[in-house]
Amino acid sequence: MILQSKRRHPLTPSSYLSLRRWESLGTGLFNLLVFSLLIVYLFPIVYMIATSFMERQQLGDRNAPAYPARQLRYEYEGKEYKIYNVPVDDTERELALVVPGLQASEFIDPQNPEAGLIPWDGNWRGLVGVYEFKPTLDNFSIIFRSLRITDMVRNTIILAIITEIGVLASSIVVAYGFARFPLPGGNLLFYLMIATILLPEKITLIPSYFIFVRVLGWNGSWWPIILPFFFGNAVFIFLLRQNFKSIPKDLDEAAMLDGAGPIRTLISVILPQSWPVVITVALLHFFYMWNETRQAALYLSTRRDLVPISFGISNFQSLAPMQNQLQASALLIMIVPVLVLLFSQRHFMRNLVVTGAEK
Amino acid sequence: MQTKRFRLRYDKATGLLLISPWLIGFALFKLIPILASLGFSFTDFHMLEPDNINFIGLDNYVRLLQDEAIPYLILATLSTIIWIIPLQLGASILLAALLNSPRLKARTLTRTLFFLPSIIPSVAIAFMWLGFLDPGTGWLNRFILMPLGLDGFNGIYSDAAVAILIGISSLWAIGPGMLIMLAAMQGISHEILEAAKMDGAGPLVSFFFVTIPMITPAIFFSLIINLIALFGGVILLDRGNTFSNGSSPFDGYISFWMFDRWDIGYAATLAWVFLLIVLIVILLLFSTSRRWVYYPDRE
Repeated sequence: MILQSKRRHPLTPSSYLSLRRWESLGTGLFNLLVFSLLIVYLFPIVYMIATSFMERQQLGDRNAPAYPARQLRYEYEGKEYKIYNVPVDDTERELALVVPGLQASEFIDPQNPEAGLIPWDGNWRGLVGVYEFKPTLDNFSIIFRSLRITDMVRNTIILAIITEIGVLASSIVVAYGFARFPLPGGNLLFYLMIATILLPEKITLIPSYFIFVRVLGWNGSWWPIILPFFFGNAVFIFLLRQNFKSIPKDLDEAAMLDGAGPIRTLISVILPQSWPVVITVALLHFFYMWNETRQAALYLSTRRDLVPISFGISNFQSLAPMQNQLQASALLIMIVPVLVLLFSQRHFMRNLVVTGAEK
Repeated sequence: MQTKRFRLRYDKATGLLLISPWLIGFALFKLIPILASLGFSFTDFHMLEPDNINFIGLDNYVRLLQDEAIPYLILATLSTIIWIIPLQLGASILLAALLNSPRLKARTLTRTLFFLPSIIPSVAIAFMWLGFLDPGTGWLNRFILMPLGLDGFNGIYSDAAVAILIGISSLWAIGPGMLIMLAAMQGISHEILEAAKMDGAGPLVSFFFVTIPMITPAIFFSLIINLIALFGGVILLDRGNTFSNGSSPFDGYISFWMFDRWDIGYAATLAWVFLLIVLIVILLLFSTSRRWVYYPDRE
């Protein structure tokens, strides 16, 4: 009877309450879904971080936990013995394995060593050890000893600063030209620039490589990597130009009346209103430069002292290190872009969205 | 009194002067190399004998037609595209829809974390994949396959493992595409969604019949971005894929002839044919776009 009346009048105060409860339950479930998805999506990163802090012994141990851990040990009569969870008389006891055997083993109780060895029937290999959380930084110190990490980071930073200046200055000036000035052929040149974004890299790579290496003799130098950036980047020019176009022209014209030239106008009128997109472009270029390996592989393979970080570490695998060292090196190269992204997230995420939407 | 030359005037000469860095760069690093590639493709240019170059006409093109690897490579490239592109588009639309929901907590951080894999260097991804799939110590066997009662995975360099690597790195590359879709979804006016609701459309109906048609420009843009990335081009974010590690087999084959065999003439021929294939695919996409992409200005 009560149920029926509820069904007939769905908007009574009591059902409002349950509607709100449904609503918050839905929100809870929705967030649970999104965050589980996030964990699955980032699962290999979790693996990488956990493994890079593990000791060598843990890698081969199938019973070890997923976090960096070390099996507890107990010192007995001058020797160290590993501690296991041993089922004795329906309870689990933490005992140190002294005499391992496939049929029967002998243990010592760390709480009560005076009681002497405890015999136990069963295969000790089936036992699960007792672990404590114990991260190690050894993997990182091995990498720092076997690779010239500080040199590589220094190279990357120098390259990033030089190319950042080049690509920002040229892209800003070109974008200003495309945004404000009439050009011969109307928008034709602009469309041509957009079309160059779609070119596969190989088509230009073959002759460029020949000219840089054979004609100019720039093998083993930074010139082939740096030089192209001083002529602008089509994607950045596009993003900047979209932003410049959205700035009202009135201010330009006021500057024009004051007798300012184009570069003055760009610096004192356009740029102060465009910092968000300029910073976004600068971040995009930084991510690119940090991750760069292709150009380095082409031109720097003969000069170990000039290689940037990502390319330098990409060779680490050929030294055949253990998984924990390999994962530590992966963590080492991705930590910088990840931190930069996390610190700039409010700015970067919003502006990439805004500039992307202008298309 | 300033000289007239430095006054701001909106004339073509100043415009040309301002865009001249790009024009010079275009000529030096795009136009001349592309034409030079075309020239190389008619010669027997070999890196080890740069002084002995002969014009051999269409021999390289004849050789390409007889190359048994070519049909396989085109097929392999197409079959990669056929599963990767829908995977990326579907995942980025779904993620954008989830991240656009007003119910979501910690929105900026969640969006950043979903975006984060797009900036991870390819070197780190390769190492992670090697470790994650490792039969002895990796987590794929220990925490995914074994608990499900499945057989352990052993073929670290098998086709399946490579497919997993391509899958991971392409799912982890959807960040920019996802942000573009998100921006497009935020751009849909509330009135349209309200009107759909008034007409009795549920959330799913309004998603498929209002949201999706409204964001088709963003879908088209992401489609182009993802396609170019598969073809070995660079748009927005580049994580520095190595040459041997590119996801397009055709691209890898060009690298092989260029860096392993030093046969510049044949590599240039392959690159030109590849360019033509890419251009045809993109032109086809643009020509179909009129039918399914929504352009508000046209109405």
